[in-house]
Amino acid sequence: MALVITVFIGIPALYIFIKLFNGPGESWTQIAEYLLPKYVKNSLYLALICSLLTALFGVASAWLSVRYEFYGRRILEWLLILPLAIPSYITAYAYAGIFDYGGSLNVLLSRISLDVGRIDLMSINGLALILSISLYPYVYVACRTFFLHRSQNLIDASRVLGKGEAQHFFKLILPMARPAIVGGIILVLMEVLNDYGAAKYYGVNTFTTGIFKSWFGYRELETAIYLAALLLVIIFALIVIEQRQRGARKFAADSGSERRLERLKSSGMQRVGITFLVVLPAFLGFIAPLAQLLYWAIISYVEIDWGPLLQVVFQSLGIAAFASFCCVLMAMLLLMAKEWNRLNWVNQIAKIGILGYAIPGAVIAVGIYMPGLYFDKWLIDFIGRTFSVKMNLLLTGTVIALIYAYVVRFLAVAFNPIVASREKVQFGLLQASQSLGKGAFFTFLKVEIPLLKPALLGAFILVFIDVMKELPLTLILKPYDVQTLAVEAYQFASDERIIEAAMPSLLIIATGVLPVIFLNRLVRKS
Amino acid sequence: MLLTIDHLYKGFDQGKVQAVFDTSLVLEAGKTYAFLGESGSGKTTLARLIAGLECPDRGEIYLNDQLISSESYHLPAEKRAIGFVFQHYALFPHLTIAKNIAYGISKTAGRRERVEEMLRLVNLNGYGKRYPHEISGGQQQRVALARALAPDPRLILLDEPFSNLDSHLRQKLRTEVFTILQNAGVCSVFITHNAEDAMAISDEVLVFREGKLLQQATPMALYHQPSSPYVARFFDTLVDLPLALLASFNYKGNKNKTYFLRNHHFHLDGSGEFVARAQVIRTLCLGKDYVVEVKVGEHLLELSAVKPPETSEVGLGWREQDLLSFDA
Repeated sequence: MALVITVFIGIPALYIFIKLFNGPGESWTQIAEYLLPKYVKNSLYLALICSLLTALFGVASAWLSVRYEFYGRRILEWLLILPLAIPSYITAYAYAGIFDYGGSLNVLLSRISLDVGRIDLMSINGLALILSISLYPYVYVACRTFFLHRSQNLIDASRVLGKGEAQHFFKLILPMARPAIVGGIILVLMEVLNDYGAAKYYGVNTFTTGIFKSWFGYRELETAIYLAALLLVIIFALIVIEQRQRGARKFAADSGSERRLERLKSSGMQRVGITFLVVLPAFLGFIAPLAQLLYWAIISYVEIDWGPLLQVVFQSLGIAAFASFCCVLMAMLLLMAKEWNRLNWVNQIAKIGILGYAIPGAVIAVGIYMPGLYFDKWLIDFIGRTFSVKMNLLLTGTVIALIYAYVVRFLAVAFNPIVASREKVQFGLLQASQSLGKGAFFTFLKVEIPLLKPALLGAFILVFIDVMKELPLTLILKPYDVQTLAVEAYQFASDERIIEAAMPSLLIIATGVLPVIFLNRLVRKS
Repeated sequence: MLLTIDHLYKGFDQGKVQAVFDTSLVLEAGKTYAFLGESGSGKTTLARLIAGLECPDRGEIYLNDQLISSESYHLPAEKRAIGFVFQHYALFPHLTIAKNIAYGISKTAGRRERVEEMLRLVNLNGYGKRYPHEISGGQQQRVALARALAPDPRLILLDEPFSNLDSHLRQKLRTEVFTILQNAGVCSVFITHNAEDAMAISDEVLVFREGKLLQQATPMALYHQPSSPYVARFFDTLVDLPLALLASFNYKGNKNKTYFLRNHHFHLDGSGEFVARAQVIRTLCLGKDYVVEVKVGEHLLELSAVKPPETSEVGLGWREQDLLSFDA
């Protein structure tokens, strides 16, 4: 079964790999000569700058929030995570509004008779900055968890050996946190390479925008696939680096009985300074764009046509809920398959099944679209010949293909928390159930599932948020008569009706923020 | 005087827990000390105060007659040159053994030589390039020791250095660590809850209870002249001897004093200066010795003996020199 699921998940990537050897389309030479170097350069540049900036924001805010006492610490601790609730393309739209000529910043500054002129954000550097302030929480969360579990004894040991606070950080904490930092940055990079909306809006040509351009601009699917394949190679290289990094040095975990890091008291200017440094990323990544969107929503409130918008909301929620359900179900199947299967190599293969999250949405979309078309053709032929019935396309341009794509992309998001929680279930409990005469399936139903309930719920919520935010994949695969909030916001923004994009954007954020708060509570409790 | 502590106080949780209470003591250079006490006795807090990892509420600490801690002055831990070996070693997991040892040495010439010297001292030549998780617990212990000794501290504190080890390894390592510290010639303080460790390794033992220093004495003096029953109980099980029971032995006690005997200081063969008839209730074999439960009059006593009694009634005797008496 693990094999079946893996194949099911692996089809898009597999298809693209195979297609790589078929050669690209006609305009490939043109693209390769004029555009590809630019795509590569831009994507790598973005990746580099975003890695540096997210590392800076993420590590600094995580360390300050764990090590120091400052104003509003408890609120800021989770405010720092919230930029994740705003999809980066929406942050990009909001900042375009803030820095535009006659935008919010200009207006605010002119109130205090200050004119800085126009700051041009619509460039690759602007894009890198926007993506960084929107994605740094991946590094923040990874580092914060790591720091929280460090022992004060390490710091004390460093102190009695004659070192000060700065040396503790640079010689001990920072090098030790390297795996956590790299882990966070890898997630950031996957998001950066996945991004379509922000890059498109800021007019920066990346791999992902290139895929769209060659498919919808040049009408050449083969070229799009070729680009997707190249992107996939880069992504796999990243994954390999990450795995090697993890395996390179096993750091002995500090024993649980040791004391947690002590929180340093700060006062006066130091306290104000630390508070400012911690507020900054939260403000840039969450509060400022949210304020801009709220402002737009308020000024456009009367013009909003609620009927169609509500319909979009329900379609969005429905699709997200169904996709999340499918994801969790698939993750459970994969888990069962893994547990009841004793063939090691199958389990190794199953690991591939959860790599979907690493593959950009546009690539998955391409990888599903083409095989879907072949499958439909074959099915219609087959049904037509055997039953003489005419039928419509089953996959292509239907919700089924969309859901399938979501499952491929977000299976890992559901699988990882469930596995983590499963590992905490004591094996003895399962043996106890079996010794009481219950079979494996009964045990699974009556013991494991109830114990996993919080994890299943958590997994559902995580996938739900991700599906609500997802743009590139949805844009390609969604049926004509279906609309999601993400696509709605994107279309308004690209039609230069950015003010109208505010309401759908806010609705996406709302569906993201509430569960994030809920999850944070859940994490704190455990 | 290497270290002088003068009326030191330290409380936690707004004074709800008094970890160190009116403690004064003096440590001399070149000697080995043990802070002995149960968990919660304040011995670890005192060590952390000496190292500068905590600040006192009241009182002073002097190192070589220089004030290093008081209510208003605190020389930071990193400036004290006092070594500390942590209970779980606190080795830096991302650094090699050599780099761990080099961590506290200033970047001067001869750093590499010093690391080599330390590796030789703790008998770990050739281990410099390994990581802490690649060596055994006993080896980690020695690395922690080498790391603390490398900057040439004036005093070294070792927090429960043997508590993670099983008893066999414990004895071996105790000797090893002792030899290393003797060779290094540095004043060292062992913090331990194990009386045997304390006795085996130190020139003087300091016994703590509920934040207070009860007694500071050589191991010999501590055993033979304990200042309280509590101190004596660290080494042996004491048998309480109320005046009525003493009377059965024809011993006239002072009613302002309490009397005890160690449970192995009774003689079941009737020898000794004071003897009474005792009924044997039962005998348990614990291997090399026996627990014997006897009844003298109305009093039930649990004794330790090397030989089991042969009859159901015995003459129970003891010597006056073994009797421990304390002011009530």
